[in-house]
Amino acid sequence: MEYFLQNVVNALQWGSFYAVVSIGYSMVYGVLMLFNFAHGDIFMVGTYIGFGIATLLLAMFSAILPPWVIFLLVVVITMCLASLVGVFVEYVGYRPLRGAPRASAAITGLMIGIIFETGNLIILGAQRFSFPALIESVSYNIGGVYFTNVKVLIIVASLILMAALHTFIQKTKWGMAMRAMSYDFLAVPLMGVSINVIAPLTFAIGAGLASVAGVLYGQAYPVLDPYMGIALGWKAFVAAILGGRGSIMGAALAGYLLGFIEIFVAMVFPSTFRDLIAYSIILVILTFRPRGFFGMAHSTRLRL
Amino acid sequence: MIKRFLQTFSVVPMAGWLLGAFVAVLIEIYFGNLISYYLYLPKIPVLLGTLVALRDPALIPNVLAYDLAVYFIPVLAVSLLSAPLTNALAARMQKMPLWAATLIHIVAFYAILHLWAGISDYRVLVVKLTMISIILTVSLNIINGYQGEFSCSHPGFMALGAYTSSVLTLVLFSNDKVFGEALLPAALGPWCFPVILIIGGAVAAIGSLAVAIPSFRTRGDYLAIISLAFMFIIKSAIENMEIIGGPRGLSSQPNYASLPMVFIWMALCIWIIHNFTTSIYGKALNAVRDNEAAANSMTVNTRRTKMIAFMFGAFWAGVAGGLFAHVLRYVNPGTFGIQKLAEVLAMVYFGGLNSIYGSIVGAVSISVLGEALRPLELWKWIIIPLILILVMIFRPHGLISFTEIDMKRVLRPRNTAEGER
Amino acid sequence: MKKLVSAVAIACIVVLCFSTSAMSQRQKTIKVGINAPMTGDIPKVGEGSKYAAEMWLEDVTAAGGIEVGGVKYPVELIVEDNESKAESAVTANTKMITQDDVLIIIGPQSSKQAVPAGDVANNYETPMISPWSTNPATTADRPFVFRGCFLDPFQGPVLANFITEEFGFTKAAVLYDVASDYPKGLAEFFKAAWEEKHGEGSVVAYESFTTKDTDFSSQLTKIIRSGAEVLFTPQYYNEVALIVNQAKDLGWDKPIVGSDSWGSAETVELCGEACYGSFFSTHYAAAGAQGATKEFIDRYNEKYGYVPDDVAALTWDSLGLAQAAIEGAGELTGDIKKDRRAVRDALAKVENFEGITGNMTFTEEGDPQKCAVIVKISDTGAYEFYKSICP
Repeated sequence: MEYFLQNVVNALQWGSFYAVVSIGYSMVYGVLMLFNFAHGDIFMVGTYIGFGIATLLLAMFSAILPPWVIFLLVVVITMCLASLVGVFVEYVGYRPLRGAPRASAAITGLMIGIIFETGNLIILGAQRFSFPALIESVSYNIGGVYFTNVKVLIIVASLILMAALHTFIQKTKWGMAMRAMSYDFLAVPLMGVSINVIAPLTFAIGAGLASVAGVLYGQAYPVLDPYMGIALGWKAFVAAILGGRGSIMGAALAGYLLGFIEIFVAMVFPSTFRDLIAYSIILVILTFRPRGFFGMAHSTRLRL
Repeated sequence: MIKRFLQTFSVVPMAGWLLGAFVAVLIEIYFGNLISYYLYLPKIPVLLGTLVALRDPALIPNVLAYDLAVYFIPVLAVSLLSAPLTNALAARMQKMPLWAATLIHIVAFYAILHLWAGISDYRVLVVKLTMISIILTVSLNIINGYQGEFSCSHPGFMALGAYTSSVLTLVLFSNDKVFGEALLPAALGPWCFPVILIIGGAVAAIGSLAVAIPSFRTRGDYLAIISLAFMFIIKSAIENMEIIGGPRGLSSQPNYASLPMVFIWMALCIWIIHNFTTSIYGKALNAVRDNEAAANSMTVNTRRTKMIAFMFGAFWAGVAGGLFAHVLRYVNPGTFGIQKLAEVLAMVYFGGLNSIYGSIVGAVSISVLGEALRPLELWKWIIIPLILILVMIFRPHGLISFTEIDMKRVLRPRNTAEGER
Repeated sequence: MKKLVSAVAIACIVVLCFSTSAMSQRQKTIKVGINAPMTGDIPKVGEGSKYAAEMWLEDVTAAGGIEVGGVKYPVELIVEDNESKAESAVTANTKMITQDDVLIIIGPQSSKQAVPAGDVANNYETPMISPWSTNPATTADRPFVFRGCFLDPFQGPVLANFITEEFGFTKAAVLYDVASDYPKGLAEFFKAAWEEKHGEGSVVAYESFTTKDTDFSSQLTKIIRSGAEVLFTPQYYNEVALIVNQAKDLGWDKPIVGSDSWGSAETVELCGEACYGSFFSTHYAAAGAQGATKEFIDRYNEKYGYVPDDVAALTWDSLGLAQAAIEGAGELTGDIKKDRRAVRDALAKVENFEGITGNMTFTEEGDPQKCAVIVKISDTGAYEFYKSICP
């Protein structure tokens, strides 16, 4: 039993990252109907920004401020800076391609991602960095289930983020504009909602979320490298679409589902077969639910 | 100036360009060493000298001089001066059946390519890998361009073909530690190789059903992740099969993929896919892409069309995989991952959707750029993506999209106005 | 038309004038190729190899070149990036052999590139030394391919014996990357050696993950539950930091043992206190090194700002071997094919080469017989020499 519970805790932590990153994916996908293949690398850049800010703040204020204040400061500053990265990506890679085939934007996204990776390698060199621990890790053992305060923080913070985003989308004017945009891409601009405002906003929120995920990620998996965003990015892509188009809740659930599938497959079967079985499950799910979990019955064919 | 220049050379037919290229290659073969010696170049520059020039910028003028002396001036001069002759030749060939004229041109082109590549083994390797990318790109264009899906499973199909054909050649024709003695005499190997490639392609085509059947019910984005999942599954499955080497891969495949072999397969691939896309099936594919419901009501069997497109694309990806495995003489599952996928996707969308011509341009330019910019090391991976982004911004459909090859137009004589043909 | 001709003519003349001004001295040089992963999965490995090669070149240039048969030849390095891809390693090798006329190639480092690249080198009869590839297939049946390190079949049993003798454990767990050649091979050899000693099923958990994974909690939970007494994880340093830390968080308090891939200065830097007290086997121990080894480490550290990892040290040794072989080749005729063969023969004959990672003599297959070193990570995070095990 505690073996099972332990894996639930593991899966919750791992699924949180998929969930938060795939929400960023899903938002761009929902509003603009585009794949943002640079998202994994935006996550990487966000983590590096968080790393820089954290190192700086720890060097300057670690004697004066309590750790949680520094942690909050790091999160907020990183979020702001990373949003700018998101806006930049939208401006360079996506705005010029509005009206172009969707796949072309996917390619620019991929290429921007490669530029981020290589640029990082050129600027910072091949050395890997260790994300400083902002909060000292304390391990607890309750009835044979081990967890740390960092794990709890990650799970809680992700849930708070998602709740905040949900409120933003549902209750505010901007959120309404975004929902409208994802409902009808052509008619809404005629109503005076400019896509040139909504699109950067979407990218900024997505990038901000990814960077917070990055800071949390740095606490749990403190090794940074320039290619860290690729695997997470593609899996978040799977989760975002599995969740259904334009569904934030769907993306989050699919993210957790992906985390649970990966962890539990490795628990039940020999872990060598993890990818094989995990992706077969996804293949089967999609064969029988071809529109994901919460997808609208929209036609999703490629605009050419 | 440029306009004048183009106008001057508009009278040169394809045959003339081939003749010019032939002369240039002859010059390189007989005088290349001498010229490069006097220009203080270490050796005959392989890829128009980019490798030398980027490593040592002081040599840029020398490289330019070499290119002018060996390539540009002879090609331009010969093609222009021989224009009357070659135009007469083209006019004569115009009277032949189109396939014969095309065949003559292709054979001539191959002869030139063979001589050119023969100067250096590095060229041979680059040319082979480029031609394999062409097969891959053209075949992915069937699914992503003509049928309008966003399929991510091409590396998976390629892996299926590569492993099937490798296992077959290793079992049948080579004394391998894992698979034991050769079952057939090695002399038969090169002759059976095409059959083995076809079997590899067929296995890939059968594998593609795993993606094609879900595509009956879903399209676009959901299919994208089905195909992505398929790619991960294939990679993981191969990693778990100890008998075929697992993650260590298979090595020492016999050296069957010679330059003519790869070229013939590439030419066949382009020809067959061209015929396929201009046939009724190609039109059906476009119809399914543009509006599935409408196509269905116009008596297009959409399921069959989709299945054929997937199997056909996967077949050629499998053949390309088989050739790839025998060129490198080593395969491992790690090769067929996200990196390969990004590469093939970039080639297809860079070159242009719905166009075989575009796919060839895309595959050639990206593979050759990748080799030519080698000396830049890391910066190569800044420059190539930048070029791609710029192309996507200024030509969102790719360099050459929605264009078909018209052999008749390409081969026609140029001394008469087009209308008078 | 006339204008065009004159324009082309002028262009030719201008270009020719420039090209003569860029005259370089035509001199016979010895070219050494480096085939390393500068981009891709493991850029750090490529950087280490490149830096070691640059240091070596500095030494050689200071000495006025390599002396062969009484003539001193200047040396030129050709560094090619193999992008951590098999096909790119093959094209890089082909390019260096046929285009740059290199006399000898150092690299590629990982087996997934060294196996196919070794085939190319052998076909063109060009000597190649892979400093870091531990897969037997790299050198098997290839007279022209050598390596600078020991093999998996040696290292696996060494570790199994060490753990048994040191701790007296009988139940071990293994966690490795199933998609990567090196960890998988080593995990298999370790498992075989361990089960031979302690009987079938004594490896109580044999768990894997895939390259680029960062979460190992499920596998580690399984390992902890299996009742293993020791965890063996032959992973690269970046994964080691994650594995060890997650294991501690999940309540693992037993020893963790690693392999030569831990031998990077970054292991401790990334891993922190969780790694203190662990053991691993390696080619050389940076801490407590003496003589030439210490000299190399200090120089490298001064120049590039960090302690070199084993790749850099092995590359350095491979270059030393190459130099010894070139010097022992008798004379350079200028016929590159003949020279390569002479270098290959000299390389096969090298005996008791005193490298910074140990003394080396090649076997028939081109593999060196070397001692492995067991290193303990001390309570202050330093690598302490613990034990040396020779074949």
